[in-house]
Amino acid sequence: MTEPDKGTKLRSRDTESPARTTWRRFRRHRLALVGGVVLVVLVLCAALAPWLSPYDFARQNRRVRFSSPSFSVPIELQSLPQCRQPAVLWWRCGMHPFGTDDLGRDILTRVLHGGRVSLLVGFAAGLASTLLGTLIGALAGFSGRLVDTSVSRFVDIMLSIPQLPLLLILVGLLANPEVPMANWLSQTLGGAKSIVIIIAVIVILSWMSTARLVRGQVLSLKEREFVEAARALGISRLRIVLRHVLPSTLSVIIVQATLMTGEAILIESGLSFLGLGIQPPAVSWGNMLSRAQEFLYYPNGVYIALFPGLFIFLTVLCANFVGDGLRDALDPRLRGRL
Amino acid sequence: MLAYIVRRLLQVIPTLLFISLVLYGLLALKPGDPIDELRRGNPGFTQADYERLREFYGLDKPWYVRYWRWLGRAVQGDFGPSRQFGRPAAQYVFENRLPNTLLLSGVALLVALVISIPTGVLSALKQHSALDYTVTVFNFLGVSVPIFWLGIMLIYLFAVRTGGFLPAGSMMTPGITGAWPVFVDRLRHLLLPVAALSSLHLAQWTRFMRSSMLEVVRLDYLTTARAKGLREGKVVYRHALRNAILPLITLVGLSIPQLFSGAVLTETVFNWPGMGRAIFDAILVNDFNVAMVSLMFISLLILACNLLADLAYALADPRIRYD
Repeated sequence: MTEPDKGTKLRSRDTESPARTTWRRFRRHRLALVGGVVLVVLVLCAALAPWLSPYDFARQNRRVRFSSPSFSVPIELQSLPQCRQPAVLWWRCGMHPFGTDDLGRDILTRVLHGGRVSLLVGFAAGLASTLLGTLIGALAGFSGRLVDTSVSRFVDIMLSIPQLPLLLILVGLLANPEVPMANWLSQTLGGAKSIVIIIAVIVILSWMSTARLVRGQVLSLKEREFVEAARALGISRLRIVLRHVLPSTLSVIIVQATLMTGEAILIESGLSFLGLGIQPPAVSWGNMLSRAQEFLYYPNGVYIALFPGLFIFLTVLCANFVGDGLRDALDPRLRGRL
Repeated sequence: MLAYIVRRLLQVIPTLLFISLVLYGLLALKPGDPIDELRRGNPGFTQADYERLREFYGLDKPWYVRYWRWLGRAVQGDFGPSRQFGRPAAQYVFENRLPNTLLLSGVALLVALVISIPTGVLSALKQHSALDYTVTVFNFLGVSVPIFWLGIMLIYLFAVRTGGFLPAGSMMTPGITGAWPVFVDRLRHLLLPVAALSSLHLAQWTRFMRSSMLEVVRLDYLTTARAKGLREGKVVYRHALRNAILPLITLVGLSIPQLFSGAVLTETVFNWPGMGRAIFDAILVNDFNVAMVSLMFISLLILACNLLADLAYALADPRIRYD
């Protein structure tokens, strides 16, 4: 890992903070950089959805069912008032850049609004699942043999239960008004309930890989000299974990969080496609696809399926690129290998 | 080694018991019961009928009593009747659903293996070449694409746009006879679902094979093999590949159960009557016996594959000894 730089340059790198080093290395990974930029743009567009689009995402318009993607406004529509607001300049009223669906709703508007839910679920579930996995993994790695064995055994069992059926049962369970907790949930959460349920379900089913990963890291770090030195200095166990061991695993955890975000978006889309995730009238990329297959044989019907899926694909792809770039940047030994 | 196998096999029993308890408990907590399904289609259904049927099916008892009864019969091989189909649940699952899943998942598994191993090896041997970059990009695409959406797009391209060049779903065209036409028909129905289902594992395994191969080609013993004048082909296939393929055994072993239960999205898109869809539908309509027998089969499969993967690894790598 010797750098051929000399003199002043070397000195400036000597004092460079780890975050800066990572950023410098990350920028060299072109795909990751592009992926990161695209992700930021997607998040911004989704966040600004109501201000970007002149339409309401749930508004139906029988006159323009199944229209093809186009930047022009049909003459017969030009004089009709049909917009909520005159929005961005280029997006004129009556224009449907991605076409319209079976009920005449604007697909681009729905993709933007769907992105709010899908991205929120992805980031929240990815983050929460990584945190939970890290916590449990660190606990297993740093506790005594008994705790470690029981936690590992529990992880094994969780991984032996078929995932998708468990997902189904959990979704049904949390939506069941007879279960006391579910009732309390719907009172506190109102319309956001299906989003919270889906996040919870994804977290419950996906923390295990992170826990295994972190446990392995902690177990190997535990034997290293710097931890021994810290122990010899009489530093408490909790402090050793929090200040010395976990920061060393941070790079692995960050990468894992990025990949889990992509994974969560995929799970959400699959569940919503099956009709179990985000429920209409709320819109997500997954539930936009749930009836899309029926319209494949309609003229212009394919756009109903094409665009939401394309955005899921793009988002997960970018998340994976960023994860890969981060892994290279945080651990140069792995560059190009994985 | 034998002691290890016996110990692992003995571990399977409590694990399965625990999983069955958890799954049964969760299913019992689900809203509604199978009698609701009967009542829905029957206007003459009275409350008295409801009570009588509840008692008949034992649904008036708490769930742990029902679980105990179910378990008592299950260990004797009786998984109860399916309420949707009016026949033994196990018979329905193993005769009508399992073979379809075996066909789809088996072919997808083979396709993924046959393509990913050579591609991964080539990609690693020619690291940083145009081929390597193409393969890497395809791997990224493969792990990022939502399988069901890929399926829908494949249907659009190969069945809708081309006016029925390939069938859009289901397993076979009714009314075809003769060995060869039936074979061709089955194959045509398999192409698209296999392409969709194998995409994820294809990408994962190629990526894994590539990194595993890169790991191995750096090792000293390969330099030695080359230094003593062995042909490159022999170095790669006899010396490098054999070691590089070892970790893949574990990965493939762990993926097999996923191919069985996780195929529900592919099965839904292609209208393929497999296990994943059977479990899904059974849970939705509260046909618990079908759900339980399928889920227990898949849990057993997961445990068996874990064990087999560990054993195969030990068999292939003499350095690993369990005791």
